[in-house]
Amino acid sequence: MSNLDNLKQEFNKNLSQISNSEQLTALHIKYLGRNGLINDLLKKIKEIPNEEKKQYGTQVNLLKKEIEEKINAKTKELSSKKSDKFFDKTMPGKQYPKGSSHIISYAIEEITKIFEKISFIRVSYPEVDWEYSAFESLNMPKGHPARDDFETSYIDTPPHPKFGKMVLTPHTSNGQNREMRRVKNPPIRMINISKCYRPNWDATHTPMFYQFEGLCVDKDINITNLKGTLDYFAEKYFGRGTKTRLRPHHFQFTEPSFEVDVTCTVCKGSAKVNGKKCKVCKSGWLELGGTGMVHPNVLKEGGINPNEFTGWAFGFGIERVIMMKYGLDDIRNYYGGDIRFLEQF
Amino acid sequence: MNIKITHNWLLEYLETDATADQIREYLSLCGPSVESATKVDGDWVYDIEIISNRIDYASVLGISQEAAAILPMFGKKAKLKFDPLTAYKFTKIKENNSGLSLNVKIEDKNLCSRFTAVIFDNVKIGPSPKFISERVLAAGIKSINNAVDVSNYLMLTLGQPVHVFDYDEIKKQTMIMRESKKGEKITTLDEQEITLPGGDIVIEDGSGRLVDLCGIMGGLNSAISNKTKRIILFVQTYNKEKVRKTVMNTGVRTVAATYFEKGLDEERVEATLVYGTELLQKYASAKLASKIYDIYPNPYKKKTIVIKLETFEKLIGIKIDRKKIREILTNLGFGAEEKKDFLTVTVPSYRKYDISIPEDLVEEVARIYGYQNIPSRLQAPSYVEQPKEMEDLFVFQNKIKLLLKHLGLNEVINYSMVSKEMIQDSGLKIEDHLRLSNSISEDIEYLRITLFPSLYKNIKDNIGKKDIMRFFEIGKVYLPRKNDLPEENYRLGIATNTDYFDLKGIVEAVYKELNIKLDVTENIKEKNGIFVTEIELSKLIKNYQSVPKFKQLNQYSVIKLDKTFILDKNNTYRSLKEKALSSKLLINVEVVSQFNNKLTLRFYYSSMDRNLIEEEAKGELDKLV
Repeated sequence: MSNLDNLKQEFNKNLSQISNSEQLTALHIKYLGRNGLINDLLKKIKEIPNEEKKQYGTQVNLLKKEIEEKINAKTKELSSKKSDKFFDKTMPGKQYPKGSSHIISYAIEEITKIFEKISFIRVSYPEVDWEYSAFESLNMPKGHPARDDFETSYIDTPPHPKFGKMVLTPHTSNGQNREMRRVKNPPIRMINISKCYRPNWDATHTPMFYQFEGLCVDKDINITNLKGTLDYFAEKYFGRGTKTRLRPHHFQFTEPSFEVDVTCTVCKGSAKVNGKKCKVCKSGWLELGGTGMVHPNVLKEGGINPNEFTGWAFGFGIERVIMMKYGLDDIRNYYGGDIRFLEQF
Repeated sequence: MNIKITHNWLLEYLETDATADQIREYLSLCGPSVESATKVDGDWVYDIEIISNRIDYASVLGISQEAAAILPMFGKKAKLKFDPLTAYKFTKIKENNSGLSLNVKIEDKNLCSRFTAVIFDNVKIGPSPKFISERVLAAGIKSINNAVDVSNYLMLTLGQPVHVFDYDEIKKQTMIMRESKKGEKITTLDEQEITLPGGDIVIEDGSGRLVDLCGIMGGLNSAISNKTKRIILFVQTYNKEKVRKTVMNTGVRTVAATYFEKGLDEERVEATLVYGTELLQKYASAKLASKIYDIYPNPYKKKTIVIKLETFEKLIGIKIDRKKIREILTNLGFGAEEKKDFLTVTVPSYRKYDISIPEDLVEEVARIYGYQNIPSRLQAPSYVEQPKEMEDLFVFQNKIKLLLKHLGLNEVINYSMVSKEMIQDSGLKIEDHLRLSNSISEDIEYLRITLFPSLYKNIKDNIGKKDIMRFFEIGKVYLPRKNDLPEENYRLGIATNTDYFDLKGIVEAVYKELNIKLDVTENIKEKNGIFVTEIELSKLIKNYQSVPKFKQLNQYSVIKLDKTFILDKNNTYRSLKEKALSSKLLINVEVVSQFNNKLTLRFYYSSMDRNLIEEEAKGELDKLV
């Protein structure tokens, strides 16, 4: 063994003294040539006791490999030193392919992770559902304006005797009743992200869009918890220091109901940019979406006793949060399939 | 819906030391959203959002009532100067039973929950006083003449739309309120002829003419003109569903209709009629010339709600002093009586539609107390098991999206709906698709059953923008099922404008990433130089392995042999590979090169327990030919 170690030390010493390629060639022959030192070692294998032969062989081979690598490295080093050609380090590197994810995919991933950390599970429910899941179970009886032809897309099939007509879900809230019935006994910690549809197509609306819906049902859930969750989300998604506020509003499936604003991502809530009025927001705030405490009728429809459990829910637009965070304001680009839009992300 | 009112107008009802900006800010936090307060000629115009269940505050009075409850919470003085609902009673009017009259017949009492009217004589139609025309204009309504402006002014002040008829144009002094028949026509004040869908609330006069499309707009035939001498002041509350239906079916949406369709307070009708009489007498020299017509079959009965006091804390999350709770409710016009642990709350008539359960009262107390004064506390985490099949859907989508992105593909998200043309272009049958019954565009009429049509379109639409295109989409398709919701399946679709093997390589890369040992199927289609394929996500999930099966490292030599074959129908790469793999010594096959139908393959032979000699390997390879 010590033989090998000595040889290794010797080689390292020799190598360190090399300064041109002639010397290196000589060194190569000395160690790796047909009659070089390594081959000498291999020939000696006959003298090694049988039980040690295998180990000896492996060791010599490893050393050989190490020497080869070091000589190669030195060769490269010498050749680059020698070259006095101009080496333009500012040239681009080798081109690797770069594709793109859809901006919506980024947001979905980001939002899912934010809520996973506080124990919310992402679920998947139908995008084509019955009126019951989309409306009745959410305290929106027949005749409610949201059920108009102008607000909801219907499918041309015979209605279900019990659950009504088939609709393209106009919101992710159809997941509320479905998740309550799936889980049966709270706690419920749901995040439902899905495509939604409404018959509206203009500069600020597309007939398909994404929403993310949060639902939390448990013992003793109250407004402070909703506020806590919204603050948490706003800080994580829009950045440190983002604040939220609730304003009174009305939704059929929550009571009390609120609209949530977050501090403007451009002026940070000051309503001023360089001493001028912020063009993006209304007095420092941007509207995020609707939320509230789950209406007792919605809990009841989900088979949950509203005297025992309470909950909160929200439904926000993904395109809206992307717009607020990244300023991508023409929503029609999202689903237009234009490569010049897609490849940017 | 938004309304515009002015600060000075508000101050006629509200006594306060709050500035316009404070009113804007504080009301927005606790009540109606005041979207802006704009200074105009020494006054301020507020632009206020009216949420759908609070039509009761869509007026100067309504905003004053809210302000009187909200502003004191911010340390501002605020109270109503007087309450028109108690100040303006019928008893304030001197009826004139000997004068003019009207025969009123309501065919169905379900059409109109309260009907009131009075007739005036000696009316002088002319311009409105300045304050009325200015305020009506500030609200965004055209100023016409004193009688019409008064009707709009009443609506904005008290939140109750009003109509005025030319009395002499109501033939035979008769009004019959009934449902319209399908196809009946009425020409409204804006000179538009409307063909009625049927079931709309209308009024017919004694000559059979329609004179009013109730709740929406009056008829042109009985409009106020400069020659009008006698008018009817007309204040009603209508069946809200019927008004809404007419709006939807005719597309005629007026400001009055946006009030009526939300349901109005019958109790406010009286104050409106009395205040209207006062204004017409004052600003149109009108002389009251009839009795008061008031048909009110079901007067409002006091509604009470009993709430456990602990419910407030349970939902809000903090304790609010009982006295404070009562004070907030009282300031909002509720009656609140405390008995042990319960509060009995009396609901004012104008809140009867939106306040019906204890939670509604919690909202009232919490918002006035101020959401900004409620602390923020994240609830404790709680473990809920995520169903494996749901988790898989998202985990795999992410894996695949990332891989394909790094391979240089562009992710696209297409509409779930496609056009008839796209379906036919792809050789699919229309009847295999679900159809939207109320689609707003032919482009999005059917639910897709495959991703192909959209992906074809993506490539076609981008021609000229980029030379080489590789798109992918992971999205649902909607496969119809009889008497049930469609089957919604996620699929991975890939489209390129390159060549067959480029696309096949992409699919193989996906399989490799997921350690799927499956042959890439022949499911690659080509049309006009566009290559597409589609894979069920569930198939990938079913066949994947998180980590490939570990193979013992081989210490023995590997023998590499190259051989060239002529490819034909019977000698394909696949058949050669399969044959070669029948040798236990073969560990791998690689393509070295291909020239026309000449294919050179490299075979790797080795054994796990000894060194092979070249002859053995050659022997194995020779078996192939």
